Amino acid sequence: MSRPVAPSPEAVLEWASTVQSTSDLILRRLAGEYHEDAWGFDEEFTEAVFPIFEFLYSTWWRVKVEGAANVPGHGRALLVANHSGAIFPFDGAMIATAIQKEHPLPRWVRAMVLNWAFDLPFVSYILRRLGGVAANPANLGRLLNEDQPVMVFPEGQKGFGKGFADRYRLQRFGRGGFIEVALETGSPIVPVAVVGAEEIYPKIGESKPLARAIGSPYVPITPTFPWLGPLGLLPLPSRWRIEFLEPIDLSGYGPGSSEDRSLVFDLTEQVREQIQEALYRGLVKRGPAFL
Amino acid sequence: MTDKRIVIAGVSTRWGSELARTLQRRSGVGEIIGIDSTRPKADLGRTEFVEADIRNPVISRILPALEPDVLVHCGIVWYPEKGRPSRALHDINVIGTLQLLAACEKTPGLEALIVRGSAAIYGSAPGAPAFFTEDMARRFPLVTRFQRDIGELEGYFDNFARRRPEITCCMLRFGVEVGPGLDTPFNRYLNLPVVPTRMGFDPRLQLLHVDDATGALAAATMNPVRGAVNVAPDGAISLSRLLRLCGKPAVGVPPVLVSVINRRIGNYLGSADLYRDGELLLRYGRGCDNRRLREEIGYELAFDSEGTARDFARTSQGIQALFPSPHPGSPVRSVSR
Repeated sequence: MSRPVAPSPEAVLEWASTVQSTSDLILRRLAGEYHEDAWGFDEEFTEAVFPIFEFLYSTWWRVKVEGAANVPGHGRALLVANHSGAIFPFDGAMIATAIQKEHPLPRWVRAMVLNWAFDLPFVSYILRRLGGVAANPANLGRLLNEDQPVMVFPEGQKGFGKGFADRYRLQRFGRGGFIEVALETGSPIVPVAVVGAEEIYPKIGESKPLARAIGSPYVPITPTFPWLGPLGLLPLPSRWRIEFLEPIDLSGYGPGSSEDRSLVFDLTEQVREQIQEALYRGLVKRGPAFL
Repeated sequence: MTDKRIVIAGVSTRWGSELARTLQRRSGVGEIIGIDSTRPKADLGRTEFVEADIRNPVISRILPALEPDVLVHCGIVWYPEKGRPSRALHDINVIGTLQLLAACEKTPGLEALIVRGSAAIYGSAPGAPAFFTEDMARRFPLVTRFQRDIGELEGYFDNFARRRPEITCCMLRFGVEVGPGLDTPFNRYLNLPVVPTRMGFDPRLQLLHVDDATGALAAATMNPVRGAVNVAPDGAISLSRLLRLCGKPAVGVPPVLVSVINRRIGNYLGSADLYRDGELLLRYGRGCDNRRLREEIGYELAFDSEGTARDFARTSQGIQALFPSPHPGSPVRSVSR
């Protein structure tokens, strides 16, 4: 049996200073002395919860990233990704984490979030502090004009809430509104393919009565949720791959092109096909979902 | 350029009086005449006062006789006051504006009409644009009585502007005003010893400083532009951070109690049965774009939302000992109330 070792004075001092700086941070925040930008994004808060995302990223989902450098390091950029998750939009969180960890010039990416999320208690302001903004063309255009990187999930609810049987099959890309805004603002589009998020909450059904009861547009049923209660919210540890594709430059189309319906539809379809192909590629590269 | 004759309707309201006092000091301003149904409480110096009720058709004979170059309508009432119960607000706001517009029709030589309106026309909704621009009015259904009143009077205003293109018609859409000495339900709300908030929601607000509110109104009077203009500060601040800066403890009200408590508090704060506007604002918040104000009217705002919050915190009666600041030098704490 070994004797208990007394902690060295340096370790005690270090520990004490950590406690002090943490309590200082908490007191400072309780006094309101922190920064939020005009959109409600709170960088300090985001950095404080970042270790959770880091754990999910490296340990839980073992995310592999390809082409992170395709995201422009400065200026406006529109990241377009497939959407899934059924319960929590972890795909968006992991795209942001991937850029933080793999990009040479990391930036926080704003996310266009389904409107009804801002009607849910707690979720509404947590999303906002993490950089979530209600999805509408006005917000997207304004963020891009502020030279921010923004991610959109054009499938929206149809992608987020699709059943397990439809996994990795891209749904319709809305009406191509994001292409219109990208053309108006001259923003490059970076298609992003996320493989792995479809398996974290395999959705096998929906509960209409429960959805009506809590005022949510739908409530998913998975093998674990809602049967296991809060424990059912634990995402399954699938293996992930995120691929950032080559940026599509739209600056050559010039002003007014956003009103050209057929051009908008063509570009929408082009982006959609690129992501779908990357998904199939990524699925093969990833291999088995959980091992 | 000859000096402008300015008529201020609703001069006895706080905003009308403040505008009159500000304009008196400006060059390029000739005579200032104030109209209202009650005498102004404040001393208005060289401003002449004419007692008249804008709800009464007689206004159509009074206004042309005053020969205004510029008419500023400050008579839109946001909250019930003493002598103005909430059921009278529709009459004052909608019928009063309608009578005033009718009087303008009969006033030759009128160059500009400025109305102090409200940003309530944008509503507060979960999926709203973070910064409403002027062309986004009525994008969401007008749900409260005050919103519908504003919607209706803006409709009359737009009609008038179309019919009389020679008159510069400017609709100012004011947001939430905050500042020392301002006595509105929202300021009273912030001055409660413990502030109830809706559990799970933290609205993003824009706080317009009272000085900027008066300054913007005066700037628009001197340099009116056509159409609607948002009077909103730069940036935004969340309610939770505002309360923390003020040193106010907030209490989350669970959803089942919200409607009961809001009605009680609405009554207590003096918004009577108009508390729904505040309820929506304190759930979803609202932000407006101020480009037209800054660039077209050319008004430079003195405070952004955070600056207004800090200025308010300096003067509010918060329970500041609850969370001693770790930064003794910060202006919020160092100035005693």
